[in-house]
Amino acid sequence: MSAFMIETSDLVKRHGSLEVLRGVSLSVRRGEVAVIIGSSGGGKSTFLRCLNGLERFQGGSVTVDGLCVDAATTGSARSAVVRQVCRSVGMVFQGFNLFPHLSVLGNVTEAPVHVLGLAPERAEARARDLLDRVGLLDKVHAMPRELSGGQQQRVAIARALAMEPRAILFDEPTSALDPRMTAEVLSVMADLARDGLTMVVVTHAMKFARQVADTVHVFDGGRVVESGPPDQVFEAPRQEATRLLLAETSVAA
Amino acid sequence: MEENAGLEPPGPEVCSAQPAVRLRPRPFRNRRQAVPSFRRLGLLAGVALLVLNAAGCDRTPRGDTLARVRSAHTLVYGSDQEGGGPYIYPNPESPREVTGFEVELMKSLAHEVGAAPKFAQGQWDRLLQNLDAGMVDVVINGYEWTEERGRDYLASRPYYVYQLQLMAPRGGRITEWCDLKAPGPGGRPWRVGVLVQSAADTFAAERGGPFVEVVRFDGATDAMTAVANGQIDATLQDLPAAQFYRDRFPSLAFAGAPVGRGYYVIYCRRGDTQLREAIDRGLERLIDSGDLRSLYERYGLWNDAQGELTTLSSASLHAKSQSGPRGLALIRRYAPLLLDASFVTVVLSVGSMPLAMLIGLAVALGRLYGPAPVRVALTGYVEILRGTPLMLQLYVLFYLLKLPPWVAGIAGLAINYSAYEAEIYRAGLQAIPAGQMEAALALGMSRSMALRRVIVPQAVRIVIPPVTNDFIALFKDTSVCSVITLVELTKQYSILANSTGGVVEFAVATSVLYMAMSVPLSWFSRWSERRLGASGAKGGALV
Repeated sequence: MSAFMIETSDLVKRHGSLEVLRGVSLSVRRGEVAVIIGSSGGGKSTFLRCLNGLERFQGGSVTVDGLCVDAATTGSARSAVVRQVCRSVGMVFQGFNLFPHLSVLGNVTEAPVHVLGLAPERAEARARDLLDRVGLLDKVHAMPRELSGGQQQRVAIARALAMEPRAILFDEPTSALDPRMTAEVLSVMADLARDGLTMVVVTHAMKFARQVADTVHVFDGGRVVESGPPDQVFEAPRQEATRLLLAETSVAA
Repeated sequence: MEENAGLEPPGPEVCSAQPAVRLRPRPFRNRRQAVPSFRRLGLLAGVALLVLNAAGCDRTPRGDTLARVRSAHTLVYGSDQEGGGPYIYPNPESPREVTGFEVELMKSLAHEVGAAPKFAQGQWDRLLQNLDAGMVDVVINGYEWTEERGRDYLASRPYYVYQLQLMAPRGGRITEWCDLKAPGPGGRPWRVGVLVQSAADTFAAERGGPFVEVVRFDGATDAMTAVANGQIDATLQDLPAAQFYRDRFPSLAFAGAPVGRGYYVIYCRRGDTQLREAIDRGLERLIDSGDLRSLYERYGLWNDAQGELTTLSSASLHAKSQSGPRGLALIRRYAPLLLDASFVTVVLSVGSMPLAMLIGLAVALGRLYGPAPVRVALTGYVEILRGTPLMLQLYVLFYLLKLPPWVAGIAGLAINYSAYEAEIYRAGLQAIPAGQMEAALALGMSRSMALRRVIVPQAVRIVIPPVTNDFIALFKDTSVCSVITLVELTKQYSILANSTGGVVEFAVATSVLYMAMSVPLSWFSRWSERRLGASGAKGGALV
C-alpha cells in the first residue's frame, strides 16, 4: 500500500482558454493534515474538487487510496471510479449543503443506509455517536434551517464522518461563518486531526493552519508555489507570493 | 296527442307499426366543435343570462323587428358555416362567401320580406343565444322544430322535412334498420354512431332496442369515419348530410330506407310575430310557386316527404306546445344524467393526471440529465405536444390509431399534460441548488440515487402548487374528450341545455358540480403542501 493517501501528478484544468490549474503535483500521506492556502482565484477549491471527481480535468492524474483517475478516463468507467473515491473520501462544503428536507439525523444516516446498505438502527446509533462528538446530540430531530451556520457545518462534518472515510476534504469550511461559529467548527476539525484522520483543508484560517497542519501548500496562479511545514512557511516564506499573501491576511486579521 | 298526428304521413321508417317518433333537437352537421373553452364561455354566458333573468326582464329587444328589417333593408340570419354541407358552407369557387341550400333559401325569403339577406356566423349550439342577444334577426341552420324551443321562440312553418338514414359498411351484415333488432356478432350489441344530441341520437336511444349501443360523436363525418375504420358498426345520419358526404365514404352504403323524420324551421324571438308572419308568407309563396322545390332539386334534396310542406303551418306545430318543468324540477329530473357525466369527468382526470405526472417527471429528468440525443428528442416531445391542440391529439389517437375511446381519452390527456408537467418539474429541479447534487455525489451516491433521494423530494415541494393548478385545468379540459364520443359533464350540459331549453338551470347546476369537484382538489393540494413541509420537522428521516 502506498504511503500516500492522495497523490496528484501534473494536474491541468481549463475553463475554455482560462487555465485554472497549470500542472499541480501534490501528495498527502496517510494521517497527514494538509492545508492549502492562497489568494482567491488561485485554484485551491478547484484542485480540491478534482480530487473527488466533482470537477473534470484536462491533464494529469489523481490517485486516491489507490484508485486512479486520469484525464483520459471518461464515461461510466470514470463515474464508477469516482463513486468509489467518494465512498472513501468525504467532503465538507463552504455552504454546508445539508439536505433541507431531512432532519439532522436524516442527513447523517442517509448515505450510510442508502449507499453503504447499513441497517437503519446501526446507522442511527452511529449518527448519534457522531452528533454527540460534534456537540449536537440535542439537535438530532431538528431541521437544518433551524440551526445556526456553525451547527449546520458541524452536522455536515458528522455527515461526512458517518461514511467512515479514509480522508475528508474541507472546502473553506469556515468562510461563511462568523468568528464564534468559526471557532466551534475549527475545534471539531482540530479534534479530528488529533485522532489521525487524513485531511485536506482549503482555508483562510491562518491560525488553524499554523496550529493543526502537518504541511502547508501555497497556491498561486494555478500552481503550488511553496510547500512545507507550517513553521517554515509562515516564519520563513521562500516565495514572494507567500510573503504577499501572509502580509495581506495579517493586515486583514 | 303525442305525435304530430295529421302532420305525420305514414313513413317507411320503422319495423313495427308504431307511429314515428317525434324528433328532438340536434345539430345536424359535421360539427367540429370550436375550441372547448367556448363551451365554458357558454356556461359563463348562461350564468350571465341568469342574472338578466333575475332582473326580471323578458328579453324582446327592440319593439318591431320587421319594421327595422325593412327600414335597414337587411335581414340578418344567424348560421354556422363550419363543416355544414349542404346547408351552408364556404363557396368552393369563392371561399370568402357562403353557399348552400339555406343560403339560397334566405336570399329568396329576404326578398319576399323586403330586405337583403345578411349572414352572421355563430357557433351552432349558441345561435339561439345570439338571437336572444339581438345580434341576429332570425336563426336558420337545420334547426328542427322541438316542443322546448317552441316554448321559448317563435317558429316559422317548416321549410324542410328531413329524415334519418342508416349508413353501414358496404356488403356487411346491416342492410336495414330492422337488422339492428337482432344481436350483433357474438351476441354483442350493435354500436351505432350518431351526432350527439341530434334527432338521430334520440331516435337510436329510444327506438334502437336492447341490441343497439349508441355512440355519440361531435361531428357527422366523425361518425362516418368511425364506421369506415371499423370502430363502430353503423351510423344514423340526417338524410341531407348523408347524401352530401356519401361520396367521401365509398366503403359505406345506405342501409335500407330512411327512418324517422322531423322539420327544419326558422326561429324568431318570441315578440316578433310580425316578422314570423312575413317569413311564413314568404315561405308559402316559395312553396306554392314551386321555387322551393326547384331549389331542393338543384341540391338533390327533394323527395316525396317534402310534399308535406304544403300542409304544415307554424300554428299546427305550436298547437301542441305546452310548458315543461323549469328551475329545480328540471335539474332534478335530469340529475342522474349530470351525475353520470360527472363520473366520466372524474374518471378521465383521475386516470390521466397521475400518468401525466409520471411521464412528465421522466421527461424532465431526461431533459436535464440525459445524454444529448435524449435531450434533443425530449425537447421535441415537449414542443410538439405543447404546440398542438389537445383535440387534434385526441383525433389522432382515436381516428388514426383507432384506440377505444376511454383509452384514447386518458392517454391523450396524459400525454398532452405530461409536456406541461415536464416543464414544471424542470423548473422545480433547476430551482434546487447545485450544491445539493454535489453533496449527494460526494457521499458516494450515484447520479440517479441523488436525484431520487435528494433532488426530486425537494423539487416535489416546489411543484405542488403549479401541478395542482394543472390538475384543475386538466379536469376541465376533459370536456375536449367529447370529440371522441365520451359524454362528460360539459357535453352533457350542452345536450341538456339544448334539448330542454334549460340553459340557465343547467349552467348553474353544471358549474356547481365542477366547483364541487375542483375545490376539494385545492384543499388536497394545500393539505399535501403542509404535510410535506411538516414531515421533515417531525424527523422520520429513515423513511
